[in-house]
Amino acid sequence: AADKINLIPQDFFAELCEQIIQHLNHKISGVNTAELCQRIQTSGIEINVGDLAKIVNVVSFLFSTAARNNLSTEELVTTLGNAVSTLPKHAVQVIRHVWNEQGKSISVSEDARNTATVGQFVDIKWKLGVAMSSDTCRSLKYPYVTVTLKVADPSGQITDKTFEMTIPQFKNFFRQFKEMAAVLETV
Amino acid sequence: EGCKPLAALLSGIAQAVYHGNADITEELLRGQLYPEATPEEFRALRAKMGGLLQSIASADMDLNQLEAFLTAQTKKQGGITSDQAAVIAKFWKNHRIKIHESLINQSRWDNVLKNMNWRVDLKSQSRHIDQINTPVAIVEMELGKNGQESEFLCLEFDEAKVSQMLKKLSEIEESMTSL
Repeated sequence: AADKINLIPQDFFAELCEQIIQHLNHKISGVNTAELCQRIQTSGIEINVGDLAKIVNVVSFLFSTAARNNLSTEELVTTLGNAVSTLPKHAVQVIRHVWNEQGKSISVSEDARNTATVGQFVDIKWKLGVAMSSDTCRSLKYPYVTVTLKVADPSGQITDKTFEMTIPQFKNFFRQFKEMAAVLETV
Repeated sequence: EGCKPLAALLSGIAQAVYHGNADITEELLRGQLYPEATPEEFRALRAKMGGLLQSIASADMDLNQLEAFLTAQTKKQGGITSDQAAVIAKFWKNHRIKIHESLINQSRWDNVLKNMNWRVDLKSQSRHIDQINTPVAIVEMELGKNGQESEFLCLEFDEAKVSQMLKKLSEIEESMTSL
């Protein structure tokens, strides 16, 4: 990923770091990797979304680790230099500047770490089916529930997650959510 | 041809075919259960019993169907004795549910919900001031296809989202009454 950072012009890299810090500060819901990549590509740079996403992850991890360890700007730059010797000078300058301005305000609590890996439930679609027959069993006759969860991941991307449950599994699933509601009410 | 070896043979066949036990080989079964039989004789016996078990399992026969089926088999040329029929009937009664479950699992090829855990956290920070000190449920779902690596999906639900979920789950439950 470090060598791909070389490809990104300074102003785009600055924008990237700004978005990352703002996301870590919970000011925005995520880094708009796809959109940023489009604009970088339009300016003539050959970089794909996958590579950009990796860079976002690396920088995000760098900033959140630095926040957790309460690093000063100089400490961060030193650590960076030790870890990644091939980082272009302009990238280091951007990181130094962004961290100086906004690094201290990143919260270090457990919540901050959770928010980085927890998605948001958006919606659920479902269907109830009965598998009648299969190549190994002519008389299956088993009912099952298929559920598609619409989920917003930490970067704001909405994806679908689909899975199947047998009737007993569904009943347990339902029961767990009822318990959750009860606990949420009493907290 | 006593009853015990046949019961054990059916068990061995079920283990191999329905429960995926690759260690149960034909040689193992013959050596343990029918050591006096020649390999050819044993192969024929195993094939016959395996075929009967497959018919019974595929149709997920209830007791009536089973009785009719086995009776017909005793009347056939080269069929089974009534002693053998009794052993097969007893075996099916005891193992029907497990074998049927195994057949169901064999046909679940999509993601299944393997496990689910949850806890309730008190959110101490948020980008919206009004969310400070609100409880949220963090739910971890283990998803994956049978026999493959799991994906862990971790989701946050506030009270409103849990209500939304409960509403939809109620709809599902209601539709189940038509089953």
